[in-house]
Amino acid sequence: MNFLSQLSGEMRKLFARPRTYIGYIAFLAMEILILVVYKLDRTQDYTRKQLQNNGLEFDTYYSSLSITFTIMLLSMFVLGSVFFALVAGDIVAKEHEDGNLRLIFARPISRLRLLLVKYSAVCLYTISFVFFVGISGYLMAVAAVGWEGGLFVMEPKMKVFAAYPEWSEGASRLALGALGISFSMITISSIAFMFSCFKMKPAAATIITLSILFVDMILQNFPFFRPYEEWFVTWRMSAWLFLMENHLPWAKVLESFAFLGGLNATVFVIGWLSFQSRDFKT
Amino acid sequence: MLEINDLWKHFRGMPALKGVSFRVERGQIYGLLGHNGAGKSTTLGIILGMVAATKGDVVIDGISIQKDRSRALRKVGAIFEAPSFYEYLSGWHNLKILMSYTGPFEEKLAREVVERVGLTKRIDSKVQTYSHGMRQRLALAQALLPEPEILLLDEPTDGLDPEGIKWFRDFILDLRKERGMTVLFNSHLLAEVEQMCDRIAILQGGERVFEGPIKGLAEEQIRYEIDAEPSGHVAAIIAPHGGTVENAGVIHLPHSVDAAHVLHDLVFAGIKVRSFTPKRRSLEDLYMEIKHEHKPRLIV
Repeated sequence: MNFLSQLSGEMRKLFARPRTYIGYIAFLAMEILILVVYKLDRTQDYTRKQLQNNGLEFDTYYSSLSITFTIMLLSMFVLGSVFFALVAGDIVAKEHEDGNLRLIFARPISRLRLLLVKYSAVCLYTISFVFFVGISGYLMAVAAVGWEGGLFVMEPKMKVFAAYPEWSEGASRLALGALGISFSMITISSIAFMFSCFKMKPAAATIITLSILFVDMILQNFPFFRPYEEWFVTWRMSAWLFLMENHLPWAKVLESFAFLGGLNATVFVIGWLSFQSRDFKT
Repeated sequence: MLEINDLWKHFRGMPALKGVSFRVERGQIYGLLGHNGAGKSTTLGIILGMVAATKGDVVIDGISIQKDRSRALRKVGAIFEAPSFYEYLSGWHNLKILMSYTGPFEEKLAREVVERVGLTKRIDSKVQTYSHGMRQRLALAQALLPEPEILLLDEPTDGLDPEGIKWFRDFILDLRKERGMTVLFNSHLLAEVEQMCDRIAILQGGERVFEGPIKGLAEEQIRYEIDAEPSGHVAAIIAPHGGTVENAGVIHLPHSVDAAHVLHDLVFAGIKVRSFTPKRRSLEDLYMEIKHEHKPRLIV
């Protein structure tokens, strides 16, 4: 049995379903909307003021790279999480609901291997989705304001502030940031995947995942939880922003990514144990 | 080829299987009969490793499914009632994906199998456009692709039209003839089982209540429907032949008795015989008898 052929079959299944594309279409529509607003005079005035207050030139930093960063920062967690949870929540539970698992279980594949194939597909989907949003956002921004210019990064909550006047430096840092977001978003997919392995409807897996994440995010923003913010999953998921800093704080980045990696592995194992112990009656 | 040894299964404390055992020899078509909830699907689920047995063991060609499921299922193909494929993919892609869970996909072999099940023209169409009969042919193709030595069929002819049922039956019988295929046929369609199987087990309430060859069953006793007048004298005339009257219009004769002699005696005794029709004991008769007997039986 070839893992790659199994994975390619899983990806074929994933991308043959119309609901996989809902996220892509939603993000394209949102990117167009953001760019239209970005081109409005009042928006440009606001941006100019903000840049000048920070001692930065509007002509350098009102750029496609800065717009792409803003799109990814503002949209990925709130909107992206819905689609990651939708796809990952479906991947096992839907096949059980539709009865497809019966035909698979008549084959000599172990449940662990089947889950590894499906989890790999979910991770690939998550990564490809993040890069799709980044690349499509950038291309649209290029069409709107041209390709030149640097990258301006500001996120007060995580205390990240950076400016890259050169396009090449900004672009490479943005690509690194996209990798970081991908890793962070895999956490959403992993949690939804775990629930998908449980005996529940696909929609329930999606809703429970989103509920957990939104509760985590709300609690994290409570002022009296601020001293414990590093224990919240959503705070750790924001650690990709540290990759945008001028001087890369590798220790901070790795600490958060190790936390997320451990969480992902744990929820995968819980999902597998639940799946392994279930009876699938024909 | 397939051994089911003392299978027990409890679902939330409720027994679904109670010590079921049977053995399917190589090249045999074995029927597993029972009404809904009798434990047929649970047995099949345990054979495939989808359901964990509370106790007992399943051995396929010498390999225990509990100990080495992957190796044990290498030679197994399975078909289910109303098989669920990926509707949004073509039949061909369904085959490729399902086959990837077993081993490499051999295109030449797949084309041959698709042709054999009569799906060549529609194999590239999406499954959502398939009729029930076509889905069942696709199910057969996916089951045959790993070139199995044993086929597990779970209510495969349910929902098929008479033509489809006949095609399916002939196909399975041909497979056995050509390849010596071993088949476990799980069904509640008694007529189908009777026409296909060499041996059967009947499950009731999770227990095996009957196990034996089907041929002996059908020929154990021969019944005749008789329309004669005066009917009251029939019992006395057939008694010396070992015959008995079951009810008005149905008599039983031992298998060794020549019915022509009995008929001759009836006519010679002045009884007007309007019709005399042999009626073999069907599996349905047996099934109904066992259902009402509630006693385990074994014919070896």
